[in-house]
Amino acid sequence: MSNHLLEVKNLRTHFASGGGIVQAVRGVDIHVDAGEFLGIVGESGCGKSVTMMSIMRLLAENAAVKADSLVFDGRDILSQSEKTMRSIRGNEIGMIFQDPMTSLNPLFTVGNQMMEHLRLHKNMTKEQAKARAIEMLTTVGINEPEKRLKQYPHEMSGGMRQRVMIAIAMCCNPKILIADEPTTALDVTIQAQIMELMEDLKNNFSTAVILITHDLGVIARSCSRVIVMYGGLIMEEGSVEQIFYEPAHPYTEGLLRSVPRHGIEEEDSESQDKGGEAQTVERQREKLIPIPGSPPDLMNPPAGCPFAARCEKAMKICKMAPAQLTEVGEGHRSACWLLHSQAPGKDRER
Amino acid sequence: MKEQKALIDVQHLKMYFSIAGKGFGKKSRLTLKAVDDVSFSITKGTTFGLVGESGCGKTTVGRTILKLYEATDGKVIYDGQEITKMPEKEFTPYRRDMQMIFQDPYTSLDPRQTVNEIIGAPLMVQKLVSSTAERDERVRELVAMVGLKDDHINRYPHEFSGGQRQRIGIARALALKPRFIVCDEPISALDVSIQAQVVNILEEFQQEMGLTYLFISHDLSMVRHISHRVGVMYLGHLVEVADVEELFRHKRHPYTQSLMSAAPVADPREATSNKRIILEGDVPSPLNPPSGCPFRTRCRYAKDICSEAMPELTDVGSGHFVACHNML
Repeated sequence: MSNHLLEVKNLRTHFASGGGIVQAVRGVDIHVDAGEFLGIVGESGCGKSVTMMSIMRLLAENAAVKADSLVFDGRDILSQSEKTMRSIRGNEIGMIFQDPMTSLNPLFTVGNQMMEHLRLHKNMTKEQAKARAIEMLTTVGINEPEKRLKQYPHEMSGGMRQRVMIAIAMCCNPKILIADEPTTALDVTIQAQIMELMEDLKNNFSTAVILITHDLGVIARSCSRVIVMYGGLIMEEGSVEQIFYEPAHPYTEGLLRSVPRHGIEEEDSESQDKGGEAQTVERQREKLIPIPGSPPDLMNPPAGCPFAARCEKAMKICKMAPAQLTEVGEGHRSACWLLHSQAPGKDRER
Repeated sequence: MKEQKALIDVQHLKMYFSIAGKGFGKKSRLTLKAVDDVSFSITKGTTFGLVGESGCGKTTVGRTILKLYEATDGKVIYDGQEITKMPEKEFTPYRRDMQMIFQDPYTSLDPRQTVNEIIGAPLMVQKLVSSTAERDERVRELVAMVGLKDDHINRYPHEFSGGQRQRIGIARALALKPRFIVCDEPISALDVSIQAQVVNILEEFQQEMGLTYLFISHDLSMVRHISHRVGVMYLGHLVEVADVEELFRHKRHPYTQSLMSAAPVADPREATSNKRIILEGDVPSPLNPPSGCPFRTRCRYAKDICSEAMPELTDVGSGHFVACHNML
């Protein structure tokens, strides 16, 4: 059971803020294996970023992180000293942040920032570090790496800066790469470049990748396993196929219904086009079905399922106690009361 | 296709900005060609989607149509009337007809005004209401239309979520009963589950009031969902225009093709089955655009001619226009 590269059990992260205590993460189990591409999807404020920051122990002092266990590569993260953590961060766990504009230091050259990393973690000499930095920049597809090393972040475009971030995160050959919304600030063509790069890195170095995003499209393309979070809890977990084609939680269903799913590269028969202009203009549009309401306030989280207030299938029990994650298929779990053995309509085959 | 009347007709629109270069004085100023020779028209009651990467000039097109910028050259014809050269005084009544919804619901509402004041402001400016009581009455109607509650009108923007704020923005745009609305990335700052709420409101209002939209977005699947006709921009130029299904099924421009192949699709089987066409490098600087076709530096099919001449936007049949020397 504990053969996973990273295993987190019952993670709870609370923040003390002016208005009270924010329960950002309220009991989350996550595991990742080497060479796996895990996606964590959810809306803003669902706790996906905080979960990762808790694992890295990167949160500010007003955060209280508790977990039944938090094991990375056989070591208990929560009991490590700050010094050991510093040697794990960046060295064994690489991290890419959302905004490439603000996560590089504007006062140092790119080369400086890359080499600092290598000299600190790998005890390399300046020359070795420089050679490795050039090698990494080439790997992430940056032309003229020697020239780029001497440049400052502002001299580069957003896509290039994000590549530099990936190069920094990858230069120590980490076992896990955590990417928190790595492409949100980028254009689609650049996003495609970055996602392709991360897939290559996973395949070539069998690095485990944890991708945090709100974009179902990005998940659909790259991930093998998906975790859906909402209100600080895991709502559903399963393979990408299970999540997209057999969602077992009303929230996942709602998310999928609220995005247009007809593909871009759809191949349709020519005959349909012959209807002419008028028909195209008045074409029957499939209506998007939004999820009514908005996400819960985690200062006062609901006693029951966090999604109950917006759920069309909510029952009495949903508002009283949160549902447990229930197995619905191989590696496919969902936290919904409808899956309980006594739920109405349970005998009806799914 | 000409039987339906165009509400907005944009002809050879150019918008150049003069920006400071190195050194001082007039000579050192540089010209940024944000929009360069763009033409398209929008049929009454339909949605025209404008897509492209950041910096391609799509927002500038929207703002120039509304005369928030003074166009360098070209014409915008609104309902048969040329408006680009019109003095501001004469244009004021047209402002009623043409409104805008902004991208960021957090910065486009005045934090010190209540919802009532925000939505009521255009009514007061255009003198469409004679008393505050009348204004309040109208604001209540608008608030109800966008699905907010009556008691929301005395609150301030910070008391609302992003989706609710965007509804306030929409109510403000609708206050003057416009006929044309520029929606500049109206959903990109919102959460996935909220985006659909806002898009549905926009669609409902279009059906009820026959509104015409210019929908600016980089989200291709949403553009496909909401638009009737779509234009693709690259570095200030319109490279391809067609009816939505025609464009998505028969992409003729290499840029459109790679843009669409790169767009994420929320369907794993389809996503893995279509091959991404990865573009090399970044968009060139609009201060120093490549000669000839703007896309040639990243185009797989680029030939000598592409660096020599800018391809014209050519009709390839059934209202489909493409600007490329080697159409696919």
